[in-house]
Amino acid sequence: MKQVLLGNAAIALGAVTAGVKVVSGYPGTPSTEVLQTVAQNNINKKIYVEWSANEKAALEVAAGASYCGARSMVTMKQVGLNVASDPLMSLAIVGIKGGMVVLVADDPGPISSQTEQDTRHFGEFANIPVLDPSSPEEAYEMAVYAFDLSERLGLPVILRPTTKVCHASGTVDVIDTVYEYEPEGFVKDPGWVIFPPLSYRRHLEIERQQPEISYEFDNISFNLIRGTGKKGIACGGVTYAIVSDVLNELNVPENDVMLLKIGAVFPAPSGLYEKFLKSVEKALVLEELDPVIETGLFHTLALKRMTTPVSGKLDGTVTPAGELKFDNLKKYICDFLGMTINEKNSIKSMELPARPPVLCAGCPHRASFYAVKRAMKGRKHVSCGDIGCYTLGNAKPLEMTDTCLCMGAGITIAQGIKRIDAETDVFAFIGDSTFFASGMTGVANAVYNNSNINIVILDNSTTAMTGHQPHPGTGKTMMQTESPKIDIGAVIKALNVGFTTRVNPFDLDAAAEAVKEAADYEGVSVIIFEAPCIAVAKPEKAVTIDGCTGCMRCIKEIGCPAMHTDNGRVSVDDALCYGCGLCIGICPGKKIRRGDSC
Amino acid sequence: MDILISGVGGQGTILASKILANGAVTDGSKRARTGETIGMSQRGGCVVSHVRTSDTYSPYIPAGGADLLLSFELCEGARNLPMLKKGGTAVINTAKINPVTVSLGASVYDEEKITEYIKSNCKAYFLDADRLAKKCGSLKAVNVLLVGTAFGLGLLDISKTSLYAAIKNNVKPEFYKMNIKAFECGENYALTLKG
Ligand code: SF4
Ligand code: SF4
Repeated sequence: MKQVLLGNAAIALGAVTAGVKVVSGYPGTPSTEVLQTVAQNNINKKIYVEWSANEKAALEVAAGASYCGARSMVTMKQVGLNVASDPLMSLAIVGIKGGMVVLVADDPGPISSQTEQDTRHFGEFANIPVLDPSSPEEAYEMAVYAFDLSERLGLPVILRPTTKVCHASGTVDVIDTVYEYEPEGFVKDPGWVIFPPLSYRRHLEIERQQPEISYEFDNISFNLIRGTGKKGIACGGVTYAIVSDVLNELNVPENDVMLLKIGAVFPAPSGLYEKFLKSVEKALVLEELDPVIETGLFHTLALKRMTTPVSGKLDGTVTPAGELKFDNLKKYICDFLGMTINEKNSIKSMELPARPPVLCAGCPHRASFYAVKRAMKGRKHVSCGDIGCYTLGNAKPLEMTDTCLCMGAGITIAQGIKRIDAETDVFAFIGDSTFFASGMTGVANAVYNNSNINIVILDNSTTAMTGHQPHPGTGKTMMQTESPKIDIGAVIKALNVGFTTRVNPFDLDAAAEAVKEAADYEGVSVIIFEAPCIAVAKPEKAVTIDGCTGCMRCIKEIGCPAMHTDNGRVSVDDALCYGCGLCIGICPGKKIRRGDSC
Repeated sequence: MDILISGVGGQGTILASKILANGAVTDGSKRARTGETIGMSQRGGCVVSHVRTSDTYSPYIPAGGADLLLSFELCEGARNLPMLKKGGTAVINTAKINPVTVSLGASVYDEEKITEYIKSNCKAYFLDADRLAKKCGSLKAVNVLLVGTAFGLGLLDISKTSLYAAIKNNVKPEFYKMNIKAFECGENYALTLKG
């Protein structure tokens, strides 16, 4: 049946078609919708779906299921694979049984990530195949194929879409039948226990498999040569789709350019590379992120002692970073083909106010940051942030995020800063989901090593940034069941933290008082700010402002997007205001009132 | 046909793009593609959706390639105007959403200048879609209302039956009626815009 599907949904349905039985993952843009779509299409709960505590846990859960002969998939964003790389590297050696797909979404740009690292390298690093779809349609086909390939090889397979495939939709022909089989269950075998001699033997075996896979990739439909020209363009991923559009717009005839499209990228289809390099007089490689296809072509050139000139990222022709958009690609292609670009008579842009993303109106993080800021007024302090909506606390007027590195790093970076900058009050902010994902180790480290830092846990009862997923503290699972909620306070207590307090950040005075106490405490202190994200809480009536004097204190202090200025007076947008009441306590003239009190 | 939808994170642009793409496929378009903004920008940042119903490879409309710009917010309409073809058409919601940078006094939102810029660069239709949507029952219906307006202006090559079917498939059953009301409201308002 033909359906308009988001790339991520296409991958999910591909996995369902292939008979996936276990899907685990950790939310992360642009990968999140894959697991969510499986959960939404989980007829009769035949598939086990979970949000895991982090990517490492997720990958291991999927691996265990695969050991039993079940097809499994683990989903994450590219930086998530850094966390899961420990099990992945070893799993490549030990191998798997049921087809196992490691879905890792890359984010050229980057648009919503810390880095724009290229997961294709991980395939090379771990010696496992990598598939790189160019469209949602192809992503569906690749997902189905990936399970089969993985099972045949006994190796996990990486399916690596990028944002512009994950969040694009296409018209996908979904197969209605589902691959049926009964997993055998766990069969004891020394091969599941990794030991140095086994690793050595398996390493030899995996290397032996590489040329076979490469040969399969020479002939697979995801890799192809189009056109017959003497000038060759090699590309992969979404860049293939855009390059094709550019060639159409430029009316380049098929016999002018030979296009090499690579979707099954590792192990490199070296036979196809050789054929391409032999057929063309020169080649240009267009790919986002790192020159992976390009390096593969150079390997072939070197091994076959060929001299076809290849340009791309390695010789500086193509930009090394960021997305490759239509206009850049057009320029590269025109230069390569010796065509002049006809400047389109286009509409000139106009200077406009910037619109960076902001914490929502009514967001409890705004209150938490403000409470710390107010309590620390006049004291030298540093705020170490972490990954989540609260990274947006760096923006004006709050300016309460001085560092941000990776998941869970705030707590440990804070410890390092405090060792050197002893006179400064150091705060580490971390959300509830991030705390479970990778915050607890940092707390243990702080307590064990007698650090003197202040940890602020922003418990908003959800994984907000990625679209409000449940986590171990919420007690809701992706199988629609309940589990015992893990109480963050109890975890902190068990970790032997000397000072802990829980407070609602909207109770501004109490919140600021708690922060002062925590800062004055010698040793590790923890403040748990408890207030739900607006997406999981019911709104209160919008506040009203009567007789604003125009001092602008509220706007300058908290910058809530529901507040506007008109002719020097502040007004509140009813449709946006959540009635959180934070601004009420800030107005010096007490001009802001709760909506229901009037 | 290439349609660019622009707005502010949280306004529901993705639903509009789904309705257009699904409607086109129901009508027999060989394929429809969309490209969405999902991520950090959804927290009040700039968002765009690309909708392509013609036979292209990529879901992303090149700059200067859109036939129609459907903007949920005035300033975002101006920001994305260079995406429009020369001679393209824009349907613009005049309701403003002030970026925090403006409230903090770091930048200026000059409505008149922005409107002038849009008018002088394309064929543009302006309407206060927020006000109309609220009248239909919810500000949230602004997306479907704007689709209705574009349809009423004769700017979409998608049939009404298919658009309605797409609305039905993509909104919760309890909101279906309200969304149809919003679509019709937009469609009727288009008559006054056509003059
Ligand atoms: S989604 Fe929730 S946590 Fe994120 S900014 Fe909005 S209110 Fe805050
Ligand atoms: S009560 Fe005040 S701070 Fe809270 S959302 Fe409304 S305007 Fe913003």
